[in-house]
Amino acid sequence: MRFEPPNVTEMNEWIAVGMLAFVGLLIPLGMMAVSYLIRPSVPETSKRATYESGEVPTGGTRIRFNIQYYMVALLFLIFDIETVLLFPWAVVYLDAVESDAVSLAEILGPMLIFVAILLVGLAWAWRSGAVQWARSPFQVEAEADRP
Amino acid sequence: MFPIELSEWAALAPVYILVLSAMVLFVFDSINPRTTNRAFLAGTTTAGSLAALAVAVWFLLAGVGTPQADGGFGAISLFDGQLVVDQLALFFIVVVTVVTSLVSIASYDYMKGHTYQAEYYTLTLLAATGMATMAASNSLVTIFIALELASLPSYALVSILKDNRGSIEGGLKYFLIGALSSAIFVYGISLVYGATGFMQLDAIAENLDADYGPLLGLGILMLIGGFAFKTASVPFHFWAPEAYEGAPAPIAAFLSSASKAAGFVIAFRVFTTAFPLEPTASVIGVDWTVAFIILAIVTMTIGNFAAATQTNVKRMLAYSSVGHAGYALIGLAGLGAGANDVVMGAALMHLFVYGFMNTGAFLFVGLAEHWGVGRTFEDYNGLSAKAPIACVAMTVFMFSLAGIPPFGGFFSKYFLFTASIDAGLLFVAAALVINSALSLYYYSRLVKALWIEEPVLERESLSQPVGLYAAIVFAAVMTVVVLPGFGPVADAAVDAAAAVVA
Repeated sequence: MRFEPPNVTEMNEWIAVGMLAFVGLLIPLGMMAVSYLIRPSVPETSKRATYESGEVPTGGTRIRFNIQYYMVALLFLIFDIETVLLFPWAVVYLDAVESDAVSLAEILGPMLIFVAILLVGLAWAWRSGAVQWARSPFQVEAEADRP
Repeated sequence: MFPIELSEWAALAPVYILVLSAMVLFVFDSINPRTTNRAFLAGTTTAGSLAALAVAVWFLLAGVGTPQADGGFGAISLFDGQLVVDQLALFFIVVVTVVTSLVSIASYDYMKGHTYQAEYYTLTLLAATGMATMAASNSLVTIFIALELASLPSYALVSILKDNRGSIEGGLKYFLIGALSSAIFVYGISLVYGATGFMQLDAIAENLDADYGPLLGLGILMLIGGFAFKTASVPFHFWAPEAYEGAPAPIAAFLSSASKAAGFVIAFRVFTTAFPLEPTASVIGVDWTVAFIILAIVTMTIGNFAAATQTNVKRMLAYSSVGHAGYALIGLAGLGAGANDVVMGAALMHLFVYGFMNTGAFLFVGLAEHWGVGRTFEDYNGLSAKAPIACVAMTVFMFSLAGIPPFGGFFSKYFLFTASIDAGLLFVAAALVINSALSLYYYSRLVKALWIEEPVLERESLSQPVGLYAAIVFAAVMTVVVLPGFGPVADAAVDAAAAVVA
């Protein structure tokens, strides 16, 4: 009897996706299981300590740090999104100006409004101190809040 | 009836007005940072939302969205059908702007002494803009963007009391579950796009392809997950009690009424426009109404049973709002059995009445927090002796939420009940009645505490903040007045529903 190779064209192509997911789970779980089985367990104080790049760990993990960098990241987003929309608009701009189908106000107006709204947001953020770098506790005014 | 002929882009005027008011607040706050001019801030917010409301009502009366055969202007589709202004959109813009104006009036007193005044009102307006855009969205892309525009300010608003643990905890839970459900929703969008090749809802309906049935089915299931989050229905309801309890009470009112209504409008529009019942059923193999029948029954049962066991009034209202999401889901569960416009119209009516009675109930809780009387049922004991007007209003809200005859809530529940019987959903109708009966128990428990129980401690006289009182009394009056005025509301709701399910 002759060996017949499996007809791969008849196989549902989703089996490949499922197989990928299955193997993707199997490999890390298998590695963890094997290392659990063969590793020796020799607990020592220095082994159990938190690893901080070889330094002696100091302090707790729940510290407060300044999140001001994220403000800069958020402001960057304003310009980033602006570019994403401005770019395709700039590409079609000249063609649109030359064609008679749309008036100049229809081409320019929406983009000017869009940029103006972003500028209002930027001006507001600037004015309320988002780009002012790290203030000392003395500069931060007492902020009352309702319980 | 149009006094002046407007160009098409003017159809979105209510949304533009909301954006413009937010911009005014931005500029005002840039000129005077940390302003405490609450009158101007709350006034601009209220004026903006009332102007948007007036324009939306004017459009509805003038016939925007009414089919041209009936002498109207027809649904106005903008930006190649990405946005559409029809009766459904205008109806929900009305609900959202009504709630926004009530909330901003009440916030004038509630947020007194808070540091971030301008931020609070600006975020409220931006969230309202998102919700109004959701009402008009007609493509999965615009729906997702509008949904995020409504959600992101809401996360910040829930946790705006920065020194309050409950507020931060509620905001964090809301944000994490919101991020999870957004991820699921956007994955669902990508699957639907993969199966049909389109994002625009009408184009999806024309390109339902039998080759990708399972893919489309999975995508639809994931879309339901996104809607369940926004409407606080099972399986994504568990953020609601935490977020509502921690949030400032006007924001809890805003989220549980306006945000929920906006979630329902996108669910209604997507499932009626993009996935028409029979073609979709032949592609994916099952009716999607089955999913909504199950969700409706489970949501109303879980919401009401959980509400019955609460001791904290705000949590009770939060779970009851989950239950009401279950009632409104009947609008989708009952489709396909003939009288589609009546079933969905009943759900729209319920959301409209709910916008008044639930907002009012949360604002009463806000008033109690303003007085500082406490949060549990016992703390509310005997409040009627000191504040009879507010307590009458709260009693109206409670009985209306329970569905007792003289109030607006009875009518919308009655329509939902008859509509679900007409659609042959006897189980759903039975669940509606049983849950309403159960809800009467915990609503009347609060009324009993207000009127019959003796206060635990002797109270001094309570203040009467003008803004909160005005908002509560107006909501109560509307809950009652909606009864004689129910004809036009019901007509508008059924017309709006008929336009999308036809």
